[in-house]
Amino acid sequence: MEIDITGARIFYTFPFEIPILGKLQITETMVISWVVMLLITGLCIWLAHDLKVEHISKRQALAEWLVEKANRFVVGNMGEEFRYLIPFVAALFSTSLVSNLISLVGLRSPTADLSTEAAWAAVVFVMITGQKIKTNGVGGYMKSFTTPIPVMTPFNILSELATPISMACRHFGNILSGVVISSLIYGALALASSALFGLLPGVLGDVLSGIPFLDVGIPAILSIYFDWFSGFMQAFIFCMLTVMYIKGAAEA
Amino acid sequence: MQVQELVAIVPWNFVATICNLFIQMYLIKRFLFKPINKVLEQRRAMADRELQEAREAKKSALAMQEEYEQNIARAKDQAGEIIREARRTADSQSEKLLQEAARQAASMKESAEREISREKRKAVTEAKEEIGGIAMDIAGKVIEREISQEDHQKLIEEFIANVGEAS
Repeated sequence: MEIDITGARIFYTFPFEIPILGKLQITETMVISWVVMLLITGLCIWLAHDLKVEHISKRQALAEWLVEKANRFVVGNMGEEFRYLIPFVAALFSTSLVSNLISLVGLRSPTADLSTEAAWAAVVFVMITGQKIKTNGVGGYMKSFTTPIPVMTPFNILSELATPISMACRHFGNILSGVVISSLIYGALALASSALFGLLPGVLGDVLSGIPFLDVGIPAILSIYFDWFSGFMQAFIFCMLTVMYIKGAAEA
Repeated sequence: MQVQELVAIVPWNFVATICNLFIQMYLIKRFLFKPINKVLEQRRAMADRELQEAREAKKSALAMQEEYEQNIARAKDQAGEIIREARRTADSQSEKLLQEAARQAASMKESAEREISREKRKAVTEAKEEIGGIAMDIAGKVIEREISQEDHQKLIEEFIANVGEAS
């Protein structure tokens, strides 16, 4: 029995080369992230159609709860002046969450590809840096690297770069570990299943040992942690860090 | 089928994800936040309006109550005034009536007294005449002669005058 854990599949590679970016490839990550976007947008449209001011439906109550939650998350953590960040944080959270949870229907999470988290972390890093420059000015931002003493400059630059890298790797590592452990458990349970039913005599044993019965049900329990809990946690942590870092940049 | 490295940053995925994130941000803003925030805003405005209306209604109710209280107080004052007026009128009328009655009684008494004295005088006069007549008869019988009418009259008057003085 061999278990093969690979990166996202590449569906199509365009034959031409583009400088720096290389050959344009349509990958599993891209396709599934489009599916995720469609799901989120469809959900938004469904949630926010036919809105009423009075006598609201449960669907509208849920939609309002989500919006209020997003508003409170951003405004509560960052203050009223960061209201413009609400849609960004909401997009980040929902994309991350749905990407994490889409593995439940057997698709490969786009978040199980480091490129995705790296891109998000890069955007957040740009926003943090932009906020720092806005707060302290370009000179102040440059000077902040030499604190408390100029010798610290390389370490300060390192710690600055560590922020997006740690954010990306934390999220990616959690999701990838979920993927790896899920694959291992599926494989192990299939092996255990064939060993168990192989004990049965004759043809019956041969037929039943080919069917991984133990793969039904048991991985679902583990997916409560690896998909549901971890999926929520990582989306939440990523957004919380985003909010905190930008807020911190505005204060410094 | 080709696969990516398990842990690698694929440039096109990176670029696509950044684009996707901003497109997703716009879509969420457009399809969820805008309509929901609009509805929330409308509800807030409605609540504010209703609170305002309630406040105004309360204010006008209080004003009305005050007006009613003033009206009632005024009505009470007026009622008291009317009662006082009526009592005064009644008092003065009854006094007038009593005075009238007293005057009438006095005048009745006076006229009765006048009547009595007149009756008395009349009775005295009649008695005088009667006595005069009787005296004449007696005198006539005593002297057995007829005296003239003039003497007769004079005698009577003298007699009566004497009687009057004697009485």
